[in-house]
Amino acid sequence: MNFAALTGRTFAIPALILLLILLADFADAQAVINEVTPDSASQITPAAPLFRFDRFNALAIMVIFSIVILIYTRWARAGRNLFIRKINGLDEVEEAVGRATEMGKPVLFIPGLQELDEIETIAGISILGRVARVTARYGTPLMVPVRYPMVLAAGQEVVEQAYIEAGNPDAYNKDIVRYVAGEQFAFTATVNGIMMRERPATNIYMGAFFAESLLLAETGNAAGSIQIAGTAQPAQLPFFVAACDYTLMGEELYAASAYLSREPLLLGGLKGQDWMKLLLIVLIVIGIVLISFGLGNWYVSLFTSV
Amino acid sequence: MKTTVPIIIAFCSGFIMIITFFLNPERGFIGRLEPEVLNWVTIVGGFTLLLGVVSIVRINYGAIKRKSENRGYKLATLIAVFAMAIPAMLPTGMSPLLGTQPGSIYDWLFNNLDAPMMSTMFAMLAFYIASAAFRAFRARNTEATLLLTTAVLVMLWRIPMGEIFLNSIHHSLPGMINTYVMSGANMAVQRGIIIGAALGAAAMSLRILLGIERTYMGK
Amino acid sequence: MILAYGLLIIAGIVLLYLAFKTGDRRYIYLAVAFYVIFPVLITLNLPAEISPEVRQLYEAVDSLPDSSVVLLTFDYYPSTLAETEPMSRAALHHLFRKNCRIFTMTTIPLGGPSIAERVTRELAGQYGKVYGVDYVNLGYKANYVAVLKGMGSSIESIYPADNTGTSLDKLPIMKDIRNYGDVDFIFAVSDNSIIDYWMSIVNAQYGIKIGTGVTAVMAPRYYAYLSSGQMTGMLGGMKGAADYEKLVGKPALAAKGMAAQSLVHLFIILSVIAGNLIFFIEKRSRRREGHR
Repeated sequence: MNFAALTGRTFAIPALILLLILLADFADAQAVINEVTPDSASQITPAAPLFRFDRFNALAIMVIFSIVILIYTRWARAGRNLFIRKINGLDEVEEAVGRATEMGKPVLFIPGLQELDEIETIAGISILGRVARVTARYGTPLMVPVRYPMVLAAGQEVVEQAYIEAGNPDAYNKDIVRYVAGEQFAFTATVNGIMMRERPATNIYMGAFFAESLLLAETGNAAGSIQIAGTAQPAQLPFFVAACDYTLMGEELYAASAYLSREPLLLGGLKGQDWMKLLLIVLIVIGIVLISFGLGNWYVSLFTSV
Repeated sequence: MKTTVPIIIAFCSGFIMIITFFLNPERGFIGRLEPEVLNWVTIVGGFTLLLGVVSIVRINYGAIKRKSENRGYKLATLIAVFAMAIPAMLPTGMSPLLGTQPGSIYDWLFNNLDAPMMSTMFAMLAFYIASAAFRAFRARNTEATLLLTTAVLVMLWRIPMGEIFLNSIHHSLPGMINTYVMSGANMAVQRGIIIGAALGAAAMSLRILLGIERTYMGK
Repeated sequence: MILAYGLLIIAGIVLLYLAFKTGDRRYIYLAVAFYVIFPVLITLNLPAEISPEVRQLYEAVDSLPDSSVVLLTFDYYPSTLAETEPMSRAALHHLFRKNCRIFTMTTIPLGGPSIAERVTRELAGQYGKVYGVDYVNLGYKANYVAVLKGMGSSIESIYPADNTGTSLDKLPIMKDIRNYGDVDFIFAVSDNSIIDYWMSIVNAQYGIKIGTGVTAVMAPRYYAYLSSGQMTGMLGGMKGAADYEKLVGKPALAAKGMAAQSLVHLFIILSVIAGNLIFFIEKRSRRREGHR
């Protein structure tokens, strides 16, 4: 099933249904207004509009963003060559797994400490799939402690699929991904214990981390592991930079999935995102110039959030 | 079917949440859908707690049954799980020791075991940051030197002794650190990182919504 | 005392030297332990300047009319009690003194309601405040996005009862209080990113002034909100808590903790300097050997 067919059939029907519901809802709201009699009209306050026009700026940005992403995705699918700069941490993943294989030690992967509905965790699970493919190929033991049950379920699915695709399904074991503890420091204490007992050769931290970041990284360092970290939590980046060998900062984590797979669709999305950032930079510079000359009030009001 | 149905559900759920953001909740059925969907998320999340309990029991019980090394700690884990969960789930009417209110077993275990242990783990950060500072904070190049100097100045600025020392160098130095470092360079960098990460998250969300990104399903 | 602290500094240098020689980081841990325990035994009172963002928060709360309605959140885990509980305590002293009507709530299921209950009841007793009349603990409700948004239309729809199960419509404090429109100020004390949601959902959409207390690690992130005026003051870590205690006139845990924090900071600076000295000396000797 190619992407065009997928979008055509999969989304057209539910999108149409939702639009019909929206129209029916709008018509229903209009009918209520039309039912107001002259006697009751004086008692009724004007109805709020259905559409929130005060959020129009958010809608405009969202539409522009979506169009840009889709254009680049289409170009990528058409075979256009899209450059992506080197991300050292990601290039080292395969080397690091190779190191673990030579030493006969496991690889420890932590997909962050947030729930599956958080984008950083999804990025972490996405990278887990790629790492699992490499460990399956080399026959390296993999340990994935998780904090939430939904992350456990997704992680098990991803790792199993990776082992099947790598042609090593027998090496897959359900306990590769294990639920450890729901509480932050109970999780950290358990993982530290795993590090000191099992002495993994490679620790990979990809996702959302909080106060436990330095606890994990320093313990990993004491255990002699090579460490690659990636998080979009700005407060934790300094700790990972200090204690890990390679660190992916902010959106490099979100780019990792596209970077490792080199899939055109994912690369296209990444390029679209960069174009959007360029647009924001231009808008900021325009704002700086206008405000510096005292002409910026109307411009600032365009971006007021509600 | 196994791939298409989850993609349709993801698309519909995301599309509803986007639409409701732009609609007035006082008008129409769609506008009122958002809190309803958020409640559904909470309910589904509650059911998945069972997954975690099953996993933790299976792994630890399996290790005890196999008479593996450290099985004593595995047994302690299982006892701890059930010792807190069972009294907390039973109705308070049966005994004041049950439930989660002050004076219950759950509350006692939380205040006297859980909370001190959590505080202890967090306090270990102080030791680890000192060893990381000694081991890893090296002025290897210009950027690292700049980082170190800023870190030292900010650490001094945050403590009374440091403020006295900085004031002795120049009376406006603490104020300058606040203005130019914290409210200047730091704020600009934080904004840049927040914007970049937000764009990355938005792009990833769009990819999930459109079914381009399917790794969370194991595909 | 000067002799004692002088000896402490010498001990720190010796332990650093031992750590370098043996490669055993436990000497560093021992030094940090000394620097934390020592100020507990020998009190050191240090003068400190009040940070501008703390003063901004204090003045914002102080300028509230008496009997204002304030929402005080306990959005922190027990692990960060050392930094965040002094903030909550100082805030309660300030708000009780101004006879504000206080609603406490939490988005942290593990311990949040217990901490709120313990701290508010203890301090309410000191000011003779009555539960249900002067303050109420709303407790915890799951799905914080829904909670923050829902309170915009109706607090009772999210919290039909308080933490003890008493129906809110039976409490005198709820008279004339329906939603955010009736709240004058929000004082959010947190150790996690829930502050971003308070800003983007509550402040941005309802325009209520929000002052925050956050851990030291999180504080740099929120200077952006301070600068744009979205956040009305901020307490950053134990220093912020100590400053606020000083302004409120109730120096307590945070003020005592500043001595330990000061010594550990100085030790870390010493570790950084020592580590870099060793690095440069080794680099130089490697270069000399290379030339030979």
